Amino acid sequence: MEYLIIGNSVAGTSCAQKIRFNDKKGQITILSEESFPAYGRPLISYYLAGKVDSNLIQYRNDDFYRENKINVVLNCKALNIDSKNKKVKGSNGKEYSYDKLLIATGSVPFVPPVKGIENQKNTFTFLKLEDAKKIEKIITDKSNVIIVGAGLIGLKAAEALAGKVASISVVDLADRLMASVLDSQTALRIQKYIEKRDVKFYLSNTVAEVGKDSVVLKNGEKLPCDILIMAVGVKPNTEAALTAGIKVNRGIVVNEYMETSVKNIYAAGDCVESLDILSNQNKVLALWPNAYMQGETAGSNMSGVENKFAGSFAMNAIGFFGIQLISAGIVDPKDEKVSIYIEENEKEITYKKLLTLNNKLIGFALLNLPDRAGIYTSLINDDVKLDSLNYDITKKDIGLNVFPQDIRHNKLFRGNNK
Amino acid sequence: MKKVYAFEKNCLGCGLCEVYCKTAHSKSKDIIKTYRKENITSAIVIEEILSPKAKTYFALQCRHCADPKCVKACISGAMYKDQNGIVKNIKEKCVGCLSCVLVCPFGAVKRNKDKERKIISKCDLCIETGTPACVENCPNNALKLMDEEEVK
Repeated sequence: MEYLIIGNSVAGTSCAQKIRFNDKKGQITILSEESFPAYGRPLISYYLAGKVDSNLIQYRNDDFYRENKINVVLNCKALNIDSKNKKVKGSNGKEYSYDKLLIATGSVPFVPPVKGIENQKNTFTFLKLEDAKKIEKIITDKSNVIIVGAGLIGLKAAEALAGKVASISVVDLADRLMASVLDSQTALRIQKYIEKRDVKFYLSNTVAEVGKDSVVLKNGEKLPCDILIMAVGVKPNTEAALTAGIKVNRGIVVNEYMETSVKNIYAAGDCVESLDILSNQNKVLALWPNAYMQGETAGSNMSGVENKFAGSFAMNAIGFFGIQLISAGIVDPKDEKVSIYIEENEKEITYKKLLTLNNKLIGFALLNLPDRAGIYTSLINDDVKLDSLNYDITKKDIGLNVFPQDIRHNKLFRGNNK
Repeated sequence: MKKVYAFEKNCLGCGLCEVYCKTAHSKSKDIIKTYRKENITSAIVIEEILSPKAKTYFALQCRHCADPKCVKACISGAMYKDQNGIVKNIKEKCVGCLSCVLVCPFGAVKRNKDKERKIISKCDLCIETGTPACVENCPNNALKLMDEEEVK
């Protein structure tokens, strides 16, 4: 059996590992367009900040590929998938045949058209280790950095550069930072906190034009700019999938076995659309744990052990500038029937938001209150009826003591981690 | 594999398991020095169960899940399951993002309170000594090291 995997990040490597677990003999090849072994992609900001080095950023230990007998081909982009002859053409000129193929090509940065962007030679995106390495080389304490995008990627870039450069300005079209995760009140609180660390925000604004050493914002303001980081967002990388005529909406369409519309081709990770159990719709949920589970599910099915991906929902744990934010599910609901419970302490900069609907928890956001957050996540994941619990979760800190004794015992003694 | 199981009926909520957990993971291995000089977060959560009659307690450690969510959620590769089934965290690799805390359904991964080293604290079953310090020092046999099969 020949297994071929396009993409060498979390979905690709977890797929390969699962295949090897089930099939000791099959031949496994991973194609990666990058020049490094698998690394923790969200760690590139830690790398840029100098908190992890080239060695520590590696996602798997040095022996991972050898121990699992995985043939990794670096610097090789998959150019074309020929599903009829089951062959993939690589950018290194070679052809790779397969019996089962996984597409785990991840995300690519979304860069909107900006007038004059070609004038700024130091324009970067911030998604790959290569990006961090390029930025690392060029920054000095005199650099004026403009970051377009006040989402997760933009803020992590700002954090990494804080204290290393002359100025950091973050520009976003939205009226608040991390608009997809935070409500306006919390966002404002975090913004004020970060502003004390010498990061300036230009919200409800955008870069209208890029000059050689400056940018002009939509409101006419002109800011000096030596380095421009485009961190507006990401989109599924469906390029390779499209060459095989695979069905693609926003992301690659897969079923619960992670099979695409073309036989013997599977897909997993940020490049796919999968079931969001809260909206019961297929969505792009570009999340690390999701990619791991999908890769593993695909690997299992590819190597003959049937397995279904149960679906997931949005979730994030992020730290920046010493702030810790954990959130999951729906945090900014449109539905008026959703009950929202908020508990906050401005002095301590803590904030807890729980959202319930029809006797169920559908989302939460915890600012600097991470303890035991996973129990809330499990209440969403397991579709737990809140009136079956020992106490009102909005009235008391969460613990396993929230579960009635029989359920608690089942979890603790039978290791039921569902 | 063997794990630590808590028996609610026997638990006094005394907190000795936490004290010995901290000491076992200290540099000095001395109970007083650990308390005074080493800022260690125990890998145990002591929970209170509310009942109308009396308060009862139990101590919780990592369940070393067969299919651990924390390992899948870990963005740095610090969290892994070893050959013996123990879920471990490589401190050097951990960046303290708390993705493991976000997904652990038991709430058994704690953030380390030592702010300089933003990492997490979780039960390693005291692999170095072979016997978990919490089990060994529980005064009322409320914590037992038992085989999974034995428990079922």
